[in-house]
Amino acid sequence: MPLIFLLLAPLAEGLICLLLRSRLLMERVSIASAVINFVLAVIVARHVGRYQTMSVLNGFLFADAMSALVVLLTAFVALMCAFYAVSYLRADLEQARISSGRLKEYYTLTPLFVFAMFLVALANNLGVMWVAIEGTTLASVLLIAFYNQKPSLEAAWKYIIIGSIGISLALFGTLLTYYSAAHVVGIESIEGLNWSRLILEAQKLDPKAMRLAFIFILLGYGTKAGVAPMHTWKPDSYSEAPVPSAAILAAAVSNCALYGIMRFNVLTSRCLGPDFSGSLLLYFGIGSMLLAVPFILVQRSTRRLLAYSSIDHTGIMLVGLGIGSSLSSLGTLLHMVYHAISKPLLFFCAGNVQQKFQSAHFRRIGGGVINVMPVTGTLFLAVALAVTGTPPFCLFQSELTILSACFQNHNLWVGSIFVGCVVTIFAGFLYHIGQLNLGSPPRGVAPSESDWWRLGPMLLLAALVLLLGFWLPSPLYRLIQQAGQIIGSAP
Amino acid sequence: MFYDDIELGTRLITLMAAAMLVVQFLMVGQRLLPTAIRLFSLQSLFLACLAGTVAYVNQARHVYIAAALTLLLKVIVMPLFLNRILERATEKAEVESHLNTPASILICGGLTLVGYMVAHPFIKPHERGHSTLAVATALFLMGFFLMMNRRKAISQVLGLLTAENGLFLAAISLTYGMPLIVELGIFFDVLIAVMIFGILVYRISEIFDSMDTNKFRRLRG
Repeated sequence: MPLIFLLLAPLAEGLICLLLRSRLLMERVSIASAVINFVLAVIVARHVGRYQTMSVLNGFLFADAMSALVVLLTAFVALMCAFYAVSYLRADLEQARISSGRLKEYYTLTPLFVFAMFLVALANNLGVMWVAIEGTTLASVLLIAFYNQKPSLEAAWKYIIIGSIGISLALFGTLLTYYSAAHVVGIESIEGLNWSRLILEAQKLDPKAMRLAFIFILLGYGTKAGVAPMHTWKPDSYSEAPVPSAAILAAAVSNCALYGIMRFNVLTSRCLGPDFSGSLLLYFGIGSMLLAVPFILVQRSTRRLLAYSSIDHTGIMLVGLGIGSSLSSLGTLLHMVYHAISKPLLFFCAGNVQQKFQSAHFRRIGGGVINVMPVTGTLFLAVALAVTGTPPFCLFQSELTILSACFQNHNLWVGSIFVGCVVTIFAGFLYHIGQLNLGSPPRGVAPSESDWWRLGPMLLLAALVLLLGFWLPSPLYRLIQQAGQIIGSAP
Repeated sequence: MFYDDIELGTRLITLMAAAMLVVQFLMVGQRLLPTAIRLFSLQSLFLACLAGTVAYVNQARHVYIAAALTLLLKVIVMPLFLNRILERATEKAEVESHLNTPASILICGGLTLVGYMVAHPFIKPHERGHSTLAVATALFLMGFFLMMNRRKAISQVLGLLTAENGLFLAAISLTYGMPLIVELGIFFDVLIAVMIFGILVYRISEIFDSMDTNKFRRLRG
């Protein structure tokens, strides 16, 4: 039952907000619904942690540890963004960047967006999962075009065109998977694309079709996850969308796309052996990491910087998947969790700075953010250290896990490139964020900090980023371990 | 009865797939947007007929639903909708492309060959003349080519829709379509996508005074 409620709650929220007029009510509904979603997600995660799987409606909705983890992360990110959005959009209204009619657009589309992401994780049928992933694109396009300026329309157009090409490649891949299973499961039954059925028959799938299918899936969902060279929509969308939407895109949608890749990776490696899909994932992963390096070094705008960092992290997760040992699967999932916690914080800091200084460009901001906004500045420096994998923070742990899995499997080349990229990105990131935060502020900017709507979630996220590196609650860790067993390539 | 003849059914299917390919080539060579929209409608009509034939020959009942939906949405609703956007966005209705027509057609010929090569391993010897999968792959690739080659926003949408037609054709020829629920979901998504494309095109033509995506050059690096 919680599975159905989990899908109904955001839908209901979207409908209610469509009917509401008052801003205050819309804010309250969105926060209430985000809290409900999160509670439901925790219930699902606990249930799955105890009984491995749950399913309803004749197996139409199905959750195992992997889906529960993605749902939990999505609900958490959406919750943080719901709080942040209240204050962020109020400031936008005050600065007359948007009209009050636009607010309704935000509060209606965001829950639909969240609904689509829940459906991605909970759909048993891989075709329905495709429909839901396309749904995330459709729900977010108008959010990217939110400010209705030239750059935001341009970003939205790029996003929907590249996204649609990617998603149709993925549909072709899904179709080929259906074909490769047709002789086992039979066609004309909905079961033909059900994950719970396919995973049992994975060895019997048609290898020729599966090989082609995986290539299409990787290209297709890889586009959605922002894997190089299909990443070009990412910097534009992340810098044009309103900050809470950008944070959801970066921290939750990329998880959903990776989730799709993980599912197909399991099927393909059970059908063809781990080498084929593993080496493809490694190539694309390393490629994304390498591509992010120069763009991070020469970046001029905060939010584009964050986008390239997110391309880098997607690369790291693909590398972890590609290695395919149980240690690397664990590392990948830990990274997914830590990334989903640290990325929103990074976006929130960048959003505060952007609204205060009326620009996202390093040059125009000048420096001295920490003097103008002490809390935001401090958190910005700390989370910049965290996402580049610096020790006391949690991402260090997951990157180290993936790296040690890498050397354990004697992937010396991959390991060395990995280290090289991480170190260079660390230097580039610290240079930019350091310049932004330290030094003396430009004249005419009065020191003032944001309100608690923003600082609350930001401080909570910062505490988690620090804390989870040392202490992972044992139910969560068990869930991650279970999910690791599911995505591990070994049968 | 002649329509019980499976051989005839197969021939009809191949014929209609070929017609779809021909229409696609016409579209590549076409310079006027309203005509291009009409050609898309025609291609979808062939697709709907083909789906109907497949459903009849193979007794696959759920494919009838897909055929009917294609007829309703892709032959009638979407072209009407695209035409309306075209009218509202005041703009000379001519397609502008990066490459000239002969070069585009040559490239599309090449893409058709690629389609046949990709589809080759999947064609079973006992299904003689069943080259719909090759046509489908070719349509898919040519749709993407149209998207990249065209500069007007609406013609990029048309490219995407023809690629979608190719996908649907592939689905029919490989497995008699996807499970019904998935197919309904896909139709729903495509419909919403076209509507969102419409909204965006409208906003773009309002703010940029043009639908030419070449004027997009703010976001770099």
